[in-house]
Amino acid sequence: MARTSSSKENAQALFHSLRSAYSATPVNLKIIDLYVGFAVFTALIQVVYMASVGSFPFNSFLSGVLSCVGTAVLAVCLRIQVNKENKEFKDLPPERAFADFVLCNLVLHLVIMNFLG
Amino acid sequence: MGKFWVIFVASISILLPFLCNSFSPETPTDRRVLVLLDDFAVKSSHSSYFNSLKLLGFDLDFKLADDPKIALQRYGQYLYDALILFCPSAERFGGSVDVAAIINFVDSGHDLIIAADVNASDLIREVATECGVDFDEDPSAMVIDHTGYAVSETEGDHTLIASDDFIKSDVIIGSKKIEAPVLFQGIGHSLNPVNSLVLKVLSASPSAYSANPLSKLSTPPSLTGSAISLVSVVQARNNARILITGSLSMFSNRFFRSGVQKSGSSTKYEKSGNEQFLTELSKWIFHERGHLKAVNVKHHKVGETDEPALYRINDELEYLVEIYEWSGTSWEPYVTDDVQVQFYMMSPYVLKTLSNDKKGLYSVSFRVPDVYGVFQFKVEYQKLGYTSLSLSKQIPVRPYRHNEYERFIPTAYPYYGAAFSTVRLLHSPFKLLLYDPDSKNKWQDSSSFLLFIYITSKVWHV
Repeated sequence: MARTSSSKENAQALFHSLRSAYSATPVNLKIIDLYVGFAVFTALIQVVYMASVGSFPFNSFLSGVLSCVGTAVLAVCLRIQVNKENKEFKDLPPERAFADFVLCNLVLHLVIMNFLG
Repeated sequence: MGKFWVIFVASISILLPFLCNSFSPETPTDRRVLVLLDDFAVKSSHSSYFNSLKLLGFDLDFKLADDPKIALQRYGQYLYDALILFCPSAERFGGSVDVAAIINFVDSGHDLIIAADVNASDLIREVATECGVDFDEDPSAMVIDHTGYAVSETEGDHTLIASDDFIKSDVIIGSKKIEAPVLFQGIGHSLNPVNSLVLKVLSASPSAYSANPLSKLSTPPSLTGSAISLVSVVQARNNARILITGSLSMFSNRFFRSGVQKSGSSTKYEKSGNEQFLTELSKWIFHERGHLKAVNVKHHKVGETDEPALYRINDELEYLVEIYEWSGTSWEPYVTDDVQVQFYMMSPYVLKTLSNDKKGLYSVSFRVPDVYGVFQFKVEYQKLGYTSLSLSKQIPVRPYRHNEYERFIPTAYPYYGAAFSTVRLLHSPFKLLLYDPDSKNKWQDSSSFLLFIYITSKVWHV
């Protein structure tokens, strides 16, 4: 019992520290996180929907899910590149990172829109 | 003008016999038959058989096997449509004829009848071996059957066999049932097991064996029972037909007229079955029966009549073919229910049985499979006794065109929504980034890219 409560406290402590650390994250990174979360959530909803109605317009399903997953991956890459604490990309201006992100999204969504049916 | 007319009529009248008599796909029956004999006595001793052939309209040309003038072809053209080898003891043929010439004759679609006998020469055995049957190696062996022999006044050595074990095919031996047994006296042969084209038409009874009737049997006979074939036929892949028998005397007048009573049976027939059996079999060999042709192969979409250059996946199509059978004088509709068509690309994707209208027109409709590529319509029809039909027609099948897919499927609306909301949110939340206090107005220009994606997607599809 004591052990359970202590692990519960530990978990709480961990959660609190994570939360306080995260509150120090710059606002633009938080927005990207929100966007990634949204995209992954949408992808999951589509998978559940497909499981319930069947895989008939499979191309539509694939493009819907890949749109979400693809954008999420690109957004994560953007987040790594514009993060000021990441020294690896300190020479890369955030404008350039954002332009890459936009270009990749352009290519991705041209394919997605073609395949959507 | 009148002179030309005379020349025209004269040339036609000269050419006409050749035009009519030559073997052609339009009239598949043989007309000119070369008969090679050991001895002209056979011509009279077997005259009933030859006369029955003449009555059927065949033009028989009798030659001695060692006649130095015999030739199967001249200037690359075959002089005969069929060859009858009634020369069991010929050691070599005269003229330019040899085993290779005979095999070439058959390979070019001509027919052959071989009758061997006891003491058959190596030459005849070699021809038979080339055709897929092996005569008993012992030159003096005969087929002996102590239970299935033909009863005669003298007890004899039981080499005169009465056999009624016919192949079950109306096409090959005629639709009229052969009542009386067939008399056979001669050498037995076995079929080469790897040759699937050779068929036993008349087989020996299970109690038969092949041995020398004059000597005592010291070792078990090499050929026994139903493995012994008395009469066999071959239909080659080019539809050439070959008849092989180990008895020349079964064609003789004596056997044709003789009465027959099989041992152990009380029924005595006035006349043996030889004449009916051999005449009907010869008709089959000379393509009077069982010769099919397929014409007017057509296919089109259901509801249309023009033949398209290609189909789309999931099209409904109709395939039609007309099949006729040669009756000896004309092409009659061939009626059966087992003709199948394959829609074939490496393996059959569709296999359908064709239905017919009793007038020879076969048709079937089916849906093109959901697979694109280069397909073939294939009809591979092989039926016992009939010439084989092998038709194939290539046809490409294309996938849907970009604008032929189904659009705006209600089930897919959530997927559309997901894709568009992703694009939409690409645009709007990142706009907030532009107003980040640290980097104000820096990303302003880049946002036009996002707008561009958004507009592009709208123009492209919605």
